[in-house]
Amino acid sequence: MKKGSLSYKIISRILLFCIALGFSIFSLYYFFTRDSIKKSTRSNAELTAHNSVSKIEEIIKQAEQLPQNLAWMLESNSIDLNTLDSFLIKLVENNPSIYASAIAYEPFTFDGTKKYYSPYAYKSGGSVKSIYLGSEDYNYFLMDWYQIPSMLKEPYWSEPYYDDGGGDALLSTFSVPFYIVKNRDRIFGGIITVDISLEWLTDIVNSVNILETGYAFLISRNGVFVTHPNHSFIMNESIFTIAKEKQLPQLREIGRDMIAGKSDLIKTVLDDYEQVWVYHTQLPSTKWALGVVYPHKEMYSSLYRLNLLILLLGAAGLTILISFTIRIINRQVDPLTKFAKSARLIAEGNFETELPSLLTSLEIKELHDSFEYLKKELTRYIADLQETTSAKEKIESELRIAKEIQMGMIPNIFPPFPDLKEFDLYASLESAKEVGGDLYDFFMLDKQHLCFAIGDVSGKGVPASLFMAVTRTLLRSVANMQIEANEIISSINRTLSISNDSSMFVTFFIGILNINNGRLKYCNAGHNPPVIIKSSDQINFFGAAKAIPLGLFEDIIYKQEEIILNPGDQIFLYTDGLTEAENSNQELFGEKALLEILRNGRNCDPKTLIKKVLEGVSTHVDGHTQSDDLTTMCIIYYGKGNHGNRD
Amino acid sequence: MKKRILIVFISFSTLSLFAGKDNRIVFCPHWIPQAQFAGFYAALDKGFYRDAGLDVEIIHPSANVASFKYLESKKADIVSSFLMDAIKVRAGGLPVVNILQLSQHSALMFVARKKDGITELAHLEGKKIGIWNSGFDDIPIALMKEKGYSFELVRILSTINLFMTKGIDVLAVMYYNEYDQIINSGINYEELSTFFMSDYGYDIPEDGLYCMKQDLEEREEYFLRFTQATLKGWDYVRENKDYAIDLVVEYMNRANLPSNKTHQRWMLDKVLELLKPGDKSVQTGKLLPEDFYKAIDIIMTGNSGAFINENFSFEEFHKPLVSQFK
Repeated sequence: MKKGSLSYKIISRILLFCIALGFSIFSLYYFFTRDSIKKSTRSNAELTAHNSVSKIEEIIKQAEQLPQNLAWMLESNSIDLNTLDSFLIKLVENNPSIYASAIAYEPFTFDGTKKYYSPYAYKSGGSVKSIYLGSEDYNYFLMDWYQIPSMLKEPYWSEPYYDDGGGDALLSTFSVPFYIVKNRDRIFGGIITVDISLEWLTDIVNSVNILETGYAFLISRNGVFVTHPNHSFIMNESIFTIAKEKQLPQLREIGRDMIAGKSDLIKTVLDDYEQVWVYHTQLPSTKWALGVVYPHKEMYSSLYRLNLLILLLGAAGLTILISFTIRIINRQVDPLTKFAKSARLIAEGNFETELPSLLTSLEIKELHDSFEYLKKELTRYIADLQETTSAKEKIESELRIAKEIQMGMIPNIFPPFPDLKEFDLYASLESAKEVGGDLYDFFMLDKQHLCFAIGDVSGKGVPASLFMAVTRTLLRSVANMQIEANEIISSINRTLSISNDSSMFVTFFIGILNINNGRLKYCNAGHNPPVIIKSSDQINFFGAAKAIPLGLFEDIIYKQEEIILNPGDQIFLYTDGLTEAENSNQELFGEKALLEILRNGRNCDPKTLIKKVLEGVSTHVDGHTQSDDLTTMCIIYYGKGNHGNRD
Repeated sequence: MKKRILIVFISFSTLSLFAGKDNRIVFCPHWIPQAQFAGFYAALDKGFYRDAGLDVEIIHPSANVASFKYLESKKADIVSSFLMDAIKVRAGGLPVVNILQLSQHSALMFVARKKDGITELAHLEGKKIGIWNSGFDDIPIALMKEKGYSFELVRILSTINLFMTKGIDVLAVMYYNEYDQIINSGINYEELSTFFMSDYGYDIPEDGLYCMKQDLEEREEYFLRFTQATLKGWDYVRENKDYAIDLVVEYMNRANLPSNKTHQRWMLDKVLELLKPGDKSVQTGKLLPEDFYKAIDIIMTGNSGAFINENFSFEEFHKPLVSQFK
């Protein structure tokens, strides 16, 4: 498939369109699906987090209940203070989630002599033991579990810690202030604590399974990891130390939001620099925060798989579409190539060339029919053309012969009368077509009289040339018997007028010059007035027509006029083909220009003068097609014994 | 909550058996394992003590027991301690001698939340200020007294939690330790106002090495070897911080203490800064007399009630074991 071919153009456009369409649909689908996955992840994360939180809270609420009840019992004095230690042992024994418990009194409150009084029961190796806390080395008043709730006067969950006596148990101490009534005053009595094992909490958080590698984690009020899949983080690292070490400022902000008790779903990177979505929310009781981590890759893995599938299917579909399109288009377009070959053969003249017979579509069939028609028409046309051409050639050859005959009819040897020194004469005839309707003629009527004539037949071509031949023949035959110009003309007119059905006519000027005395008798039948160039340098038109052209009415009477030529005078005759010669701007050569050339060339001999006039016309028309016959004749009269060139 | 009790128990019971041999030195730093003591750990781990012909063991006290108790009970031969505490102990009658002054500056400071409207020292007037129970309290108290600001003193043990839960407005902290812990608990630098004691004329040196006067007279040669190897240890960690941090974390893990490298790295960097003389013209390991007398002034005018008797001279207190060419 060549670049620039029809198939290439169609296929490349279809391909572009299909790709653009496919891309748009795919983008819409992708963004819509992504958004819906994000939304479903958010609701899933909220659900997962809230489930875990409510499970944790349920247990915590139970654990919180015990010391709060105990506080009420102490305040209402409904417990025997002497058996506090055994009470605590029972409490610890009967509550699996409670690891230890203490009732720590304010200094000198339980007993006016004792600064420290704090019975403490704790699990140890399967049994529960009891000791009393408090000494100068163990000043519990400064311990977080005592100091913070006693200063804040509100329950307090301590930061989680490992119990190093019982192995790896992760504990948190829940402390509740209690009050006692002394001398009818309600005074702050101290702090009741329960140490809760956080194993169950770790189990709950660790049981959260998200996708393949997603997980949940818990951080304390200070951001320290309480649970995390990476065990080395637990109790060692805080979300803020990880953020600092891994240079993840966004993680620090997430941590701040978490310990501030906010809930949100945020896209970020964690310690392994993988993109994840973290949903976080707070445990209302402990003020710790739960984070649920959705690995971005896994969250969208189904989407990515689907994308891949769609892209593969799209690519396959496109390939199939393109190959089918190529085949179909090639099949459709193939006849065109064959037609192109046939057209070339036909153009070379091989009209018998077979046209392609596989007509794949209506358009191709139409093309086939057109080609068939073209072939027939061309064959017929060529035959016609051959015929016409041979006919035309014949006519042209005949016309060429006719022209030779016509030109043979007018004298064309100059100087015509080398022996007569009284005058000189030159003439020229240029036909617009092969044969023309202009004529000129001159001959000696006798030894004294020169007869000369110029004429212009109406119309052009063969009819005009025939009419011209007739006119010229008549002139010769009539002039032999007459010596008066008007009589010659009248005689010709009569003959021409008879049975002139085609109503052709000829303008005609005839002059008879007595070469001995310069007397010129002339008669003008509708012809352009000739110019007389006097030896005294006067140049004028003369002998304007006073009668209509010959051949129209037989009974016209033509009158003769005469002038005397002085030696050196010239007469210039012409047909309207001269003055009406047109250039490409349809401007006529005109009489003014003619007179100007004649004035400039007044001292030239007739041949030179005519040459100059014809040059002037040629310059004027400047290559524009000659539309009319152009005939000029010039006679110079030297007079008797004054022969010779004036120059 | 039982942890603290157990540490004390273990420390006192197991380690006393070995003291006594001439080349054997039990060293007790004044706090639980952390980067503050990285130089000692490195000297032991890299064999600098052994190369000096010493058999050194490092033991740690619990957070609420002063290291001098170990010296007094002969459970340790050399301890580290703060200068102020050492002077008070000596004034109290225990004949301890400073054989090497490590830190030359004070890392003590107050921090408070800007949100609480505390942006300058005068704003501490009338606030609840948390200050450690186990010493280090003279300087903050002396500063407040000098400025004439009344405040409510809240004794705390060792954590920042009372400050974090807003039980107190202000907390006295060490720049290398608790300050960073607060940052690592989610409060940003720019949210805290800080007041360094050193900026208010209380640039009192802190960590130094101490032994009993009599032990020094009898075992000076060994103690000199100890101080030299210790300084070598500090020089080593200055050049090998990653190694030092790993070593510290190992000590912390062994003691079942929460550890993270980020915080320990911060601590090591800051403690190393304290060891440099800075703008003080003092030789490594030595204590400037003016710092000593300034410390005595603070104690005498302070609340602690300690009395410095006239026989207590700088020369008797400070017998630096540094080589001639050091």
